Amino acid sequence: MPDKGGYTLGPLFNVVANTAVSWFSRKQKTPTLAHEAPLYASLSDSICIEQVDLQRANSPLFLQLSLRWEESRVGLIGNNGSGKSSLVRLLNGLITPQQGRVSVFGYDTVKQAALMPALVGFIFQNPDHQMIFPTVAEELAFGCEQLGQSAQQARVSALALLTEQGIASWADRPVTQLSEGQKQRVCILSVLIMKPRLLILDEPFSSLDLPTRRQLLALIHSTDMHVLLISHDLSVYADFDRLIWVDEGQIKADGAPDDVIRTYLAAIDKLSVSL
Amino acid sequence: MISLYLAHSSWLHRLPAGFKLCLLAAASMIILPVTQLEWMVVFTLAAALLYVTLGNRGWQNLEMVRPLLPFLAVIMLFHLWAGSFYEGGVSVLRLVTMFLLANLVTLTTRMSDMMEALQPVFRPLQWIGISPRALALAVALMVRFAPVLVLVMNSLDEAWRARGGRKKKWRLIAPLIIQAIRLSDHVAEALTARGGSSGISVRPIETRR
Amino acid sequence: MNKDRTLVQIALYAAVIAALGLLPKFNIPVAGGVPLTAQTLGLMLAGIMLGPVRGFLSVALFILVVALGAPLLAGGRGGLGVFAGPTVGFIVGFPFAALVTGLMMQQLQRVNLFAAALISSIVGGILVLYAFGIPGMVVMTSLDFAGAAKAILVFIPGDLIKALIAALIAQSVLRAMPGIIPSRQAIV
Repeated sequence: MPDKGGYTLGPLFNVVANTAVSWFSRKQKTPTLAHEAPLYASLSDSICIEQVDLQRANSPLFLQLSLRWEESRVGLIGNNGSGKSSLVRLLNGLITPQQGRVSVFGYDTVKQAALMPALVGFIFQNPDHQMIFPTVAEELAFGCEQLGQSAQQARVSALALLTEQGIASWADRPVTQLSEGQKQRVCILSVLIMKPRLLILDEPFSSLDLPTRRQLLALIHSTDMHVLLISHDLSVYADFDRLIWVDEGQIKADGAPDDVIRTYLAAIDKLSVSL
Repeated sequence: MISLYLAHSSWLHRLPAGFKLCLLAAASMIILPVTQLEWMVVFTLAAALLYVTLGNRGWQNLEMVRPLLPFLAVIMLFHLWAGSFYEGGVSVLRLVTMFLLANLVTLTTRMSDMMEALQPVFRPLQWIGISPRALALAVALMVRFAPVLVLVMNSLDEAWRARGGRKKKWRLIAPLIIQAIRLSDHVAEALTARGGSSGISVRPIETRR
Repeated sequence: MNKDRTLVQIALYAAVIAALGLLPKFNIPVAGGVPLTAQTLGLMLAGIMLGPVRGFLSVALFILVVALGAPLLAGGRGGLGVFAGPTVGFIVGFPFAALVTGLMMQQLQRVNLFAAALISSIVGGILVLYAFGIPGMVVMTSLDFAGAAKAILVFIPGDLIKALIAALIAQSVLRAMPGIIPSRQAIV
């Protein structure tokens, strides 16, 4: 029979060493927490895309695209693959242009990329792709931690927001147990808690039931953030300031929602006749 | 997320996680060198007794030894073969005792507390570029997405069976991996949009209009 | 972006390994009456799909979460108890199996994918894994080396089948997503 003393000391030693380290570290104070991220002054009120060239999958999508707006409710329409998703991803630096410049409220999305997550909130189409954490409270707290709050502070902020929304009981619920509408609501709250100035929503209504959809629409109209909304449902643009139609990487129409929708529908009808 | 943690309160739940790990280490130091069968029996019974002190749901967890039994039987068999019955008995009981004790810590410690207690152990990982924050994020992501991928797997399985597939279920693993890769692209994008794994260092002034 | 992407990939692949273990009665051909779990298949694929470093980290993450108390090992096992069991050597060897599988894939870049994946899986997922597993059993069970080796020899045929399946899966994933396998980005 082998001498077990010799064999077992290895793993045993590890356990002892590990626990000893954890024991001593208890005596130490928790490291001082980083202060909240410093603030940068606002430089401008407009969102600018200036002469942007962008390649996607080796074929050019945008060539010398320029666009500028100051309105607070702007919509984006177009068929699938038209470049809407790439366009909005330019605005928070998820995609960087090969040529040209994109700036949001005067901040360059490439040179000041570090500012973008706090400046631009992004709500994706599928809530399941967006939620990073197992429970609702953790999901909301993440945004606060990102901005420099300690874990405890962040949890307090998250619980405060949930209470304010009347859904305090959701805090420790696993996100996988929420309904689609509830998931989307959590995603929205987890972005709002970071207080961005521009909110981008990429087809947020597709998985929503009617009540959640109306809630979200009400939020879009009541918030003091700038909103950029992508939706296939044209009825949601009723009270928007401006609507932009993108097709094959080009701006086809740009202006008051009613006019743009009329042009867009006319073009679609013409196309379906020729089918 | 499923966890082995017993949501319930007992004297062991109230002890700090780091302390429990220390106790476990101390217990293993005492138990591992023992070679007398009598003592080993005493230790095993003592470990089982600890489960009883957890209350009426505690002792039911003694059955968690069951998956270990086939292994133990094989080990015993091989010891019999080698003619070392006594040593076999000692080592099987030692395994049972150590398993019971280690499992006891798991049963009475929340995953988050365990993670917290292990933080000092992870600190050296910073030297090779893995920050405690990135590690915590990775753990959270895995715990979040394991059930999602099980759901994906189940729906793949349904689709497979709806088309008459019964056998060769391993064929579902390739689409599972493909979906996981697609999912990871989306999740990475969402993570970056919210400041990424390193957090936000500067931010713009909020202006109220 | 790149750092986040790597982190998410590692975590999601660890979740894939967990999902493979959570499946009840995974229908893999049974060799010699020994039921096969899909989990060691997961390690081989980690090395193949993610490469050595990310594969290692991903499997290590999986083991960490198991140690924290998630019952994610095949058969619903988990927690610190598994580190006090006779199979602890295998569990500790999991990340290294993925590491070596990934390294072998890099070495075999010029061999065709199926053969490379098969050889890598055998070397990483069987040889390396057993090189950890058998000494682990010797330590935990006080069997001698030969005894421990004999006790787990019954798993070898099943593991060979898994290596074969891993290679088949790698092939079909690469067909669906060209360029996704790190050691095969230039070719194909």
